[in-house]
Amino acid sequence: MTSTEKREPTDVVAQAAIEPRRPRGRYIVLTSVVLFLALLPLARPLIGQPYNYVLQVGMVGLMWVALSSSWNIIGGFTGYISLGHNVFYGIGGYTSGLLLIYFGFSPLLTFPIAGLVAVVFGFLVGLVTLRTRGPAFIISTIALLLMVGLLFDNWEFVGGSNGLSLPLPPFQLEFVKVPFYYAMLVIALGSVYLGYRVAHSKFGLALRAIAQDETKAEVAGIDTRRMKVAAFTISTFFVGAAGAVWGYSLTYLRPTIFFTIAIAAEMVLMAIIGGRGTVAGPVVGAILLVALNEIAVSQFGSTELNIVVTGVIMLVVLLFFPLGIVGSLRERGRLPSFLDWD
Amino acid sequence: MTHIIQVAILGLLLGGVYALMASGLTLMFGVMRIVNLAHGVFIIAACYLAFFLFVGPGWDPFLSLVVTMPVFFLVGVLVYQAFFPRIEGSARFGEMTVLLTFGLALIVEGLLSFFFTGTFRTTNPSYATEAILIGDLFIPKAQLFAAITSLILLLALWAFLHFSRTGYAVRATMQNRTAAQIVGVNVRRISTIAFGIGMALAGASGSLISFLFPFFPNSHWRWIAILLALIVLGGLGSLKGAVIGALLLAVAAAFVSDLFGPTWSPITFFGALFIVLLIRPQGLFGKQARVG
Repeated sequence: MTSTEKREPTDVVAQAAIEPRRPRGRYIVLTSVVLFLALLPLARPLIGQPYNYVLQVGMVGLMWVALSSSWNIIGGFTGYISLGHNVFYGIGGYTSGLLLIYFGFSPLLTFPIAGLVAVVFGFLVGLVTLRTRGPAFIISTIALLLMVGLLFDNWEFVGGSNGLSLPLPPFQLEFVKVPFYYAMLVIALGSVYLGYRVAHSKFGLALRAIAQDETKAEVAGIDTRRMKVAAFTISTFFVGAAGAVWGYSLTYLRPTIFFTIAIAAEMVLMAIIGGRGTVAGPVVGAILLVALNEIAVSQFGSTELNIVVTGVIMLVVLLFFPLGIVGSLRERGRLPSFLDWD
Repeated sequence: MTHIIQVAILGLLLGGVYALMASGLTLMFGVMRIVNLAHGVFIIAACYLAFFLFVGPGWDPFLSLVVTMPVFFLVGVLVYQAFFPRIEGSARFGEMTVLLTFGLALIVEGLLSFFFTGTFRTTNPSYATEAILIGDLFIPKAQLFAAITSLILLLALWAFLHFSRTGYAVRATMQNRTAAQIVGVNVRRISTIAFGIGMALAGASGSLISFLFPFFPNSHWRWIAILLALIVLGGLGSLKGAVIGALLLAVAAAFVSDLFGPTWSPITFFGALFIVLLIRPQGLFGKQARVG
């Protein structure tokens, strides 16, 4: 290989995982961040008028944290780029939606079931698609996304392309966002914690070995196939759960909400901007992009140019900062300790 | 019986056009290991070029080939030079190409939607609605002409690869990049040319697609997914595989469409892709894929 001098994201991370550092300060910072997020809905008198808006943006941000952190387990740690992960987002959304329509169970309670259903499908899809490596894998995930999109577009039971209307949530209008916010908070914290646990486990080490050189990993005695399928499978749980809560918060389900490739693009982009294969990277990327998007929409309105901006950011980051924010900062030794979760 | 032959003929005619689109994509992969997710969006961009030449100066879509092919050859050369030399030597080159061209596809799609809106468009030359009748068989002129043009272009590509010096160099690079470099092939130049040719084929496909299927900016995802399924099925980087895969699947899709309705015909491509992945992950004519 001619590329020994080029540092890849995974090298930096693997190195960080081997050198144990346990700065005290980061626990204080992290605890206060979680406390702040948990107490935010109680601060209604302080926030005042834009209360619902603040919670809505918070919920969207938390959702993207969950999506990109989950994607990072297969796309970052393992190095298998999935451009079809929103399939599981949709499966989660529809599972909880149908449970609500036919049995009256609130998606705010059934989202773990939605996650489990997504996991079952994730396992089956992983078994097939992970037979390939590299570009062929990515292609099969795109084909999966379009195929599932087509199925939902034409499946009468789930309303076809018109989708399904869900019963309105039985909450007071002033506080309607609060339960969704808390559900998404649980999901986001869960997915970040899952990423953290994976990063610090032997399993995570095996995944990074696969990302660096799958053949060598296999020679070293890692059951790469089992590890890959396991990584793919667990990466779908919180994606499905997030889909369940998101669908209910919109009060309707439609294939275009879940199965467009733009959603996959955002998941990938957030993880890459923040730093693929790091625990904090997807969180940073998600917060940054959601904030940017809020500003862009409020300043310029929502136009087709948004997708152009997404593309431009993607190219710039890939060409000039392939390690992402967290990866680049760590390489220069400037990463603040509260973001050093690897 | 006539009905079966009829469906097979319609499938084969479309298969010719699919083969043209897929050959450009698989050429790029074969020579440079680039998975060009932006191939579809450039085909759609070429559709717009053909469309505006049709509604403006009134050029026939077939005449517009003389514009779309050179224009997209140039676009290809520029795109290649702008992005790919930079990431050459990256250990995760294959993956990088996917993500870069993904970003590029989003940009072009966004620009197309911004300037031309999401309206369905199509060129409608007079022959678009005419057909030739041979006995009981019904052969639409548009599909027939498009298939013949695709065949000519594919033959030209084949002749170029087999009878010209540059063509030898392209094939040598496909077989073994390092060895080609050792015997004195300027691999960077050959890659640029090959990428340009792939894009020129995308441009040509755009001219043909413009009167076969209605198009709008977002429709490129459907195309690229079908094309990618085709080239994985044929074996990534195998031109023969791409052409045979395209013909086979187009006929299969025509039968699916005939039996279950046209909405389900894309399922053929994706379903076939998954079946092939289960049985033979390297595709019909592929060597064991070793990428990354």
